[in-house]
Amino acid sequence: MGKTNGFLEYRRTELKYREVDKRLNDYDEVTIDKSIEELVEQGGRCMECGTPFCHIIGCPIINLIPEWNDAIWRGQWKEAYERLEITNNFPEFTGRVCPAPCETSCTLSINDAPVTIKQNERAIIEKAFDEGWVIPRPPKADTGKSVAVIGSGPAGMAASQQLRRAGHAVTLFEKNRKIGGLLRYGIPDFKLEKNVIDRRLEQLTAEGVLFETGVTVGEDISIRYLRDKFDAILFTMGAGEPRDLPVPGRELDGIHYAMDYLGQSNRRVANEPFEERELSARGKTVLVIGGGDTGSDCVGTARRQGAKVVYQYEIMPKPMIWDKPWNPSWPEWPQILRTSSSHKEGCERDWNVETLSFEGKNGTVSKGHFRFIEWLPGGKGTRPSMEAVEGSEFSLEVDLVLLAMGFVHVEHGRAVTDPAVELDGRGNIKADDYRSSVDGIFTAGDANTGASLVVRALNHGRLAAESIHDWLMG
Amino acid sequence: MKSDRHLFSAEAIVAMQKAVRNKDFNSFKEYSGIINDRARGLNTLRGLFKFKKGHPVALDEVEPVEDIVKRFTTGAMSYGSISREAHETIAIAMNRLGGRSNSGEGGEDEARYPLDSDGSDRKSHTKQIASGRFGVNAAYLANCNELQIKMAQGAKPGEGGQLPGHKVNEEIARVRFTTPGVMLISPPPHHDIYSIEDLSQLIFDLKNANPDARVSVKLVSEVGVGTVAAGVAKGKADMVLISGGDGGTGASPLSSIKYAGTWWELGLAETQQVLVMNKLRSRIRVQTDGQLKTGRDVAIATLLGAEEYGFGSAALVSLGCVMMRACHTNACPVGVATQNPELRKRFTGKPEHLMNFMCFIAEELRGIMAELGFRKLDDMIGRVDMLEVDKAVDHYKAKGLDFSKVLMPPERVDGEPLRCTSQQEHDFSLSLDPELVEACKPAIEKGESLSLDRKIRNCNRSVGATLSYNVTKKYGSEGLPEDTITVNFDGSAGQSFGAFLTKGITFRLKGESNDYFGKGLSGGRLILQPPLDSTFSGFRNIITGNVNLFGASGGEAFINGMAGERFCVRNSGATAVVEGVGDHGCEYMTGGTAVILGPTGVNFAAGMSGGVAYVYDENQLFDTRCNLEMVDIEPIVGEKDIIRLKILVQRHTGYTDSLVGGRILESWEESLPSFVKVMPIEYRKALEKIRERETQNTETTAITEEVFV
Ligand SMILES: Cc1cc2nc3c(=O)[nH]c(=O)nc-3n(C[C@H](O)[C@H](O)[C@H](O)COP(=O)(O)OP(=O)(O)OC[C@H]3O[C@@H](n4cnc5c(N)ncnc54)[C@H](O)[C@@H]3O)c2cc1C
Ligand code: SF4
Repeated sequence: MGKTNGFLEYRRTELKYREVDKRLNDYDEVTIDKSIEELVEQGGRCMECGTPFCHIIGCPIINLIPEWNDAIWRGQWKEAYERLEITNNFPEFTGRVCPAPCETSCTLSINDAPVTIKQNERAIIEKAFDEGWVIPRPPKADTGKSVAVIGSGPAGMAASQQLRRAGHAVTLFEKNRKIGGLLRYGIPDFKLEKNVIDRRLEQLTAEGVLFETGVTVGEDISIRYLRDKFDAILFTMGAGEPRDLPVPGRELDGIHYAMDYLGQSNRRVANEPFEERELSARGKTVLVIGGGDTGSDCVGTARRQGAKVVYQYEIMPKPMIWDKPWNPSWPEWPQILRTSSSHKEGCERDWNVETLSFEGKNGTVSKGHFRFIEWLPGGKGTRPSMEAVEGSEFSLEVDLVLLAMGFVHVEHGRAVTDPAVELDGRGNIKADDYRSSVDGIFTAGDANTGASLVVRALNHGRLAAESIHDWLMG
Repeated sequence: MKSDRHLFSAEAIVAMQKAVRNKDFNSFKEYSGIINDRARGLNTLRGLFKFKKGHPVALDEVEPVEDIVKRFTTGAMSYGSISREAHETIAIAMNRLGGRSNSGEGGEDEARYPLDSDGSDRKSHTKQIASGRFGVNAAYLANCNELQIKMAQGAKPGEGGQLPGHKVNEEIARVRFTTPGVMLISPPPHHDIYSIEDLSQLIFDLKNANPDARVSVKLVSEVGVGTVAAGVAKGKADMVLISGGDGGTGASPLSSIKYAGTWWELGLAETQQVLVMNKLRSRIRVQTDGQLKTGRDVAIATLLGAEEYGFGSAALVSLGCVMMRACHTNACPVGVATQNPELRKRFTGKPEHLMNFMCFIAEELRGIMAELGFRKLDDMIGRVDMLEVDKAVDHYKAKGLDFSKVLMPPERVDGEPLRCTSQQEHDFSLSLDPELVEACKPAIEKGESLSLDRKIRNCNRSVGATLSYNVTKKYGSEGLPEDTITVNFDGSAGQSFGAFLTKGITFRLKGESNDYFGKGLSGGRLILQPPLDSTFSGFRNIITGNVNLFGASGGEAFINGMAGERFCVRNSGATAVVEGVGDHGCEYMTGGTAVILGPTGVNFAAGMSGGVAYVYDENQLFDTRCNLEMVDIEPIVGEKDIIRLKILVQRHTGYTDSLVGGRILESWEESLPSFVKVMPIEYRKALEKIRERETQNTETTAITEEVFV
């Protein structure tokens, strides 16, 4: 159980980052890998709580955190890997990009710095790859059933692996050239290098998952055809429909969705060809609208492309500043100001900013108009409402505007409309135990829940695989 | 592998803590919803019950929260198993509500007895008397309004059964009258209770030691508990607690129905039935505890026959406990169940949190009362007819279980009520103390010395307990200056002569004594010698019965003659000289000194972890009679030991005209080699360490961490 009183003896050590002026010259990961040996004491800080909040309330995939922390402390790295693998197909993804709600719900977070759970997770899986412990686990026998999985993000990948391991023939369809979903075409390399995905795909291939890339289901291939050829279909197409900003001047050139921008950047880094016009921030004044993670990724990417200056505006109020190691809202996710590695690379952030309009020169954006707003608390059951601050209007000269205001729902392409699966109030595919309204069609991940997190997509992918398995083997 | 969130619900902990911190009843309902669901799902018997339809009354007609919470208590959690901060916060909260908190069996710091400047009362108003008698002295008994005898829990290791040495820091050792760093063992039985008559004697002792407190007996819920409870009622306890064995700290959730025997539901139902059928219910109150967590739990307990309710782990959760179950490691990260000063700083519980918890429980209970149509809780007690088995709970474990016995309304002979409606009649007519207290007024009120002569008969029991109570009420455990009150008794003393006798009082008895002589001696002096005209010589005859000086914590006893079995068991500070003892002498002793100037029985010093004994081993048989598991036997060579021993023998001879003593002193140099010293091994180590520390002369606080971790 870690070390009794280990948390009093050892301090938490934070993840280290490469220096800003060095890292801005490339797209390599900004973090510096710690070896597992460096984390032994960190594992010893784990108290193996009788009620492990990290595991029950924190980690969406219910990782067996105390068990692998303890194994680390005892130097049993292989055991740690084996315990980790039970719940998480791809710890190398979560160990890099997960916001780690496990740590904010760690019992130590009540009044102390939490265990370095995410660092530990990452170190365990990297050790496992180094040592060759990550090997294909093909099924012992085939069931003779087949499943088509549509969309190759973390949800689709996890589901494919689980289904294949259960003995089903799995084909994973992806409209892009390569597998990975937002892991590949959304999240920048400096957070997640793409060879990390490739490395894992080797395992999936060896286990017998078939990939069909460059195929847009619904366009290039019909659902009816798939229903003919496969016993079950799983929709893991993500929540690709971005939220728009319907203000005057929106149609101007130079105003783009964050995803178009980030996707292209990732392709360029990977030397992948792309058809659209090149988008670059080089020498430009860049405004990112939207204060979330996607926006932060735009900031880091723009900095690397050589932007002159980067602004980031958020319409919501500035969250509380909190510099203590513990969590003021334990065990829940705290609403506090977060400063990402990208923000530290240079960016001016502002909150409570409403965008009014854009104006342009020769059809290209040159200026944006804004004003400050104030949020009025809502009454019982009503949302807070906003009110303009009088006389607060201001404008900003800009060359490139990136809209990173989140996603509204799954794209309503023919894959969704042809079989007419029922949608929920927000436009995502409705499901009960991952079964859509159409028998034999299942769904998981962002397509089902709306935009969320990699770890949730993974978890739902796994659970959907289980639901499909039960249905197939009925 | 489907994710099954099955551990003790973390969600429930979070919801409850939110509720009590923000005084948010909605959060609380969320908490109790989770708990009640889980109860249905698997874990408890009450989960299989449901309420029958009643005739609802309006909520505002139901008795108010403030009245209900007076029936609430917190479980016995000893100071030692939980931190000082947690223990005092619990006490303050319960005292503000007019309920009670329970000291547990760890003694209590006297500094908590007077009220704080802001009027807060930090003392536990239920003081527990367990088999270990740790920290039980006259002051402990005097400062509360309930004395609770904790009956042994059989084979089940009970809370506080053992306190590992590393948890026994200086402060804890101080309030328990033991040595820092030495493991504390609560012996399985009470050495003064082997029958219901013995129990009744202890109840009587306690009634005398604090006439203003009620006496309760804690029983563990098990099959047959009803019969024991009936005995307890006949033994004149004012309240009986049927405990489902929550264990307070670190309790694991009940997970299997095969342990049903330990659940309070069964024990309570049985107790209620036996008490009512034997026409005993009207004179004794019934309390229950053990995983009570919601208003629904309390409602069921009420219908099954309880009028008071205790909360253990739920109370701790309200103060920040996150069910780490690290209690035994001393590493509780929220400062609840730890003695580590670093971790204790992390305690953030406030009395208000626990008060909110209790009030929310009461509020929930009121809701159920209104629904069932009870305006007064009194009317609801024992109404099992309002309970039925919930057919909807389809649990494989519940199949084939027959609850008709549990839910059977008892036959009410002569209209015996279903709850306590009167009081026990305690008979003090043969007590000498009321008269002694009167006669000693000048001493108690003005500190004047006085000496009295009194005749005594063996029907006069617990003599001195109430006198000590009166002294202690006024002077605390410091008592009066030595020999302020001297009483010379003549005759045959009844049981518990000199019980809990406090400082400044000397009882000299010429004659003989029954069992329990000097029970719980708290600083007073007892001198016992044969009548002047007696023809027998003391050292060949038993002059006092069994179980002398049991649980003594201070004071002196000089006995010219032999004592029976179990002499000085659980002594933690008294000094005694005697001329021979029966079996099991000095068992479980943790402190003090015993000098035995004659033969001992077998099993001497079993479980002895502190204090010393000097034994005059003329025939060199002692090592065959001593239990050597925890002690060493050594010759007496140290200067200090020799002087100490000689002074004690001299005083003994002086006080009692002892022939043996006189003979030994006459030939001191020759006699000395016949003495052996019995020294507990762990105790020696701890003393050495303390001495080392003291000679290094560093900050005293370090002792706590350094010596014993
Ligand atoms: C910029 C950005 C940064 C993020 N950073 C983080 C982070 O740091 N940490 C974190 O936890 N989460 C992050 N997220 C969220 C996370 O990436 C998503 O929640 C997660 O990837 C969702 O997984 P998914 O498998 O459901 O869908 P996606 O990853 O969106 O994958 C869906 C896939 O389906 C394909 N597809 C769609 N329609 C079709 C079709 N008709 N035919 C064939 N293929 C189709 C798409 O091309 C895509 O590849 C980020 C998201 C974005 C946009
Ligand atoms: S997946 Fe995320 S929440 Fe779970 S252990 Fe890893 S970092 Fe923590």
